[in-house]
Amino acid sequence: MKRRHFIKAIAGGALISLLPTTGMAARNQPGLRYLRPPGSLPESEFLQRCIHCGKCGEVCPNRTIKYFQYQNGLASMDTPYIIPREKACILCMKCGEVCPTGAIRRIERKARTIISEVRMGKARVDRSLCLSWQGKTCGVCYRACPLPDIAIRVGRLEQPHVLKDCVGCGLCERSCIQMPQAIRIIPAHEG
Amino acid sequence: MSAEVSATTDIKPAYPLRHLNKLRWVVLVIVFLMLVLLPFLHLYQTYVAAHAYDLLSAPERRLYDVMEWLTRPFVTDPATDLNAIKGTTWSGSLFGVKLSDPLAVVGQVSAGLDWYWPFVMTALIPVAVTVVFGRVFCGWICPATLIYELNDNLASWLRKVGVPIGRRRLDRRMKYLVLAAGIVLSYITGAVLFAAIYPPAVIGREIYYAVAQQGFGVGAVFFILTLLFDLMLTRRGFCRYVCPGGALYSLLGRFRLFRIRRKVETCNDCAKCNAICQFGLDPLHDDFGQECNNCSACIAVCPTDALKFTVSMRDVPFQGPGHLGRLYRKQAQGSGT
Repeated sequence: MKRRHFIKAIAGGALISLLPTTGMAARNQPGLRYLRPPGSLPESEFLQRCIHCGKCGEVCPNRTIKYFQYQNGLASMDTPYIIPREKACILCMKCGEVCPTGAIRRIERKARTIISEVRMGKARVDRSLCLSWQGKTCGVCYRACPLPDIAIRVGRLEQPHVLKDCVGCGLCERSCIQMPQAIRIIPAHEG
Repeated sequence: MSAEVSATTDIKPAYPLRHLNKLRWVVLVIVFLMLVLLPFLHLYQTYVAAHAYDLLSAPERRLYDVMEWLTRPFVTDPATDLNAIKGTTWSGSLFGVKLSDPLAVVGQVSAGLDWYWPFVMTALIPVAVTVVFGRVFCGWICPATLIYELNDNLASWLRKVGVPIGRRRLDRRMKYLVLAAGIVLSYITGAVLFAAIYPPAVIGREIYYAVAQQGFGVGAVFFILTLLFDLMLTRRGFCRYVCPGGALYSLLGRFRLFRIRRKVETCNDCAKCNAICQFGLDPLHDDFGQECNNCSACIAVCPTDALKFTVSMRDVPFQGPGHLGRLYRKQAQGSGT
């Protein structure tokens, strides 16, 4: 093969890869629901900032943060995600400290700043699944919540009510004893 | 004339530069071992943070014990103190100093078209080093270089055994095309795509995945493909023809101050330097160029110590055949008679 043809082939390949830009966002697992680490920028800005260095996962003391392969499209390959039912965020805020690009913002580990700055998602209760709402006193989600009476409060029979300051850490979803879970975090980028 | 020759070959003065290549290997191995060690330290930290030594499985407990023994002299609280060194050569923090690969900055800026200054500044030291020393990252730090060089040794061995090994030459400007295409594609897709095809970033990440996450990922497959590319098509082909980081470092180091230069007076035209140069450069004809990564393998192999580092913004033009070589002697005789 002549050098000229080789270079042409390479350039052609590059041009073809330009065409399906939507393909970059195409997800192989459309039902996949995930959270970004606490303090992350909104999804599109997050992808522009994240350099896929993996440091957030490396400081995560709870091994909460995992990395996409190609489940979520090529653009988010090697970006961090959290599936709260598997491992939920304990809001230690170390990932924001170590993030070099500010894709995960640095947020002080204080209840006030966390409540005002962190929006990973918001919990939602499925009352037809929830034990407390079905008359069997449970209250596990409330016990698991790092911000009790701020993010979630319980009423009669420990029935959970999610409040507006829920940051979406997912500890309630992680701890729900129902299968499937009766409380889920709806990610911020879905809402 | 012949007396001079025998004088220089009989009494060999100590030539410390010759050992620079060994030092480079030590550095490469240390960097690589750090990349392996750090994920293990991360695991150890998570065990410490979980306060559950008694509940660890036997292999986890062994890891805990080994890491505790390794780090005890340096830290008091492993869960926080070990955060002093985090990350990879792509982007890492060393005792509070954050360092990033210039390619990460280029990729991030082109993806978002915004300058996030705290991040841009993290590439300052690497850029400064590159401007002065050229592509030293490629030769001295890059964890992929270690494997690519071992891969090249394997290629030479296979060649010796009789397996046909590709030694094609392609156009080295191709990597600048890759860099440009990467910038454009990063802008269009809004994601830093270099991270997926840049070997040092891939290696650091894949080691971390293998040790502390779900196991090797897609990047490992990509890296093995680059190894095969090097082995079967061209020598060190990825670094020379494809690597976008190599392209960026070459451009930054174009007018580097420290460069290797041939001392024509002591060169004997043996061409060992050309044979050893994995980047396919031509030290014998004074052609180093911006691609040279200052690996100093040619200095180590030169039998007459004719190669040395000099401070200069440019390479010298071809100085003619080496004065200890046959060609020069013939020319001298020709002009003399």
